Amino acid sequence: MEERLYDLIFIARPATPEDEIKKIIHAIEHACSEKGGKIEKSEHWGTRKLAYRVAKHREGMYYYHQIRTTHGELIHELERRLHVQDAVIKYMTIRLDEDLKRQKKLGDKREKRAARRPRRPAATPAAPAPEQQAAAS
Amino acid sequence: MAEEQKQEQAAAPAGAPRAEGGGQREGGHGGQGGHGGPRREGGREGGPRREGGPGGGPGGPRRGKRQYFRKKKVCKFCVEKMDLIDYKRADILSQFVQERGKILPRRMTGVCARHQRWLGVAIKRARNIALLPFAGSAAGTTAPKAVEAHKS
Repeated sequence: MEERLYDLIFIARPATPEDEIKKIIHAIEHACSEKGGKIEKSEHWGTRKLAYRVAKHREGMYYYHQIRTTHGELIHELERRLHVQDAVIKYMTIRLDEDLKRQKKLGDKREKRAARRPRRPAATPAAPAPEQQAAAS
Repeated sequence: MAEEQKQEQAAAPAGAPRAEGGGQREGGHGGQGGHGGPRREGGREGGPRREGGPGGGPGGPRRGKRQYFRKKKVCKFCVEKMDLIDYKRADILSQFVQERGKILPRRMTGVCARHQRWLGVAIKRARNIALLPFAGSAAGTTAPKAVEAHKS
């Protein structure tokens, strides 16, 4: 199976002690290393206001991880672990590699087009330029 | 001139939903003058929809010429050459959502078809992780502000 990239976001209760957060993150890392996944990015977004109430909280601490893996079971395992945690009120995993692939493809296309373009504008600006000069004079 | 129009255009989607979501739901036609497109809030009433929007008033059918200048709408994502709309950027996504969380139609924001499609997906993802509201949770809460620490 090819490599896949996932986003994993979880929201913890706003008043969760740091030890507990560390424990959760450690559990994620442990599961990743066990199943052959790799954490590419790990961010803490801080406490943010939630757009709607989740488990009677209006705020939550956001934690963001980007995980690269070849085994889909890892995601199941992570979701199961997060589901069990009391401190985690919401979590979400999203597959990202397909979107990134599309982005790359479009970017390459654009670059190609940009590389080809200089030939054409070289001809076109020459035409309106005399008109502008005529208008100016 | 063209520059000015573009800038106004860019500001329009950001400003409009804020202005109209203010208090009463009835005031949904508030932003009409600002963007060119007719708003069709009264869709459920049935009957023929006129160009002038709901409650067009007298002279609706006879109006031959446009009475206001219609700005050329430009897709904001095309201008910025974005090939990926990140669901994590709630600050961008919230410009294309009404105060109560409805996704704004293309005719109001001027987003191109392709980007609107991606935008829809991104907004729905953002809703799932409480970055954007689902419909009807605007009372009391506002869209979460971007945190400085978050850079993607």
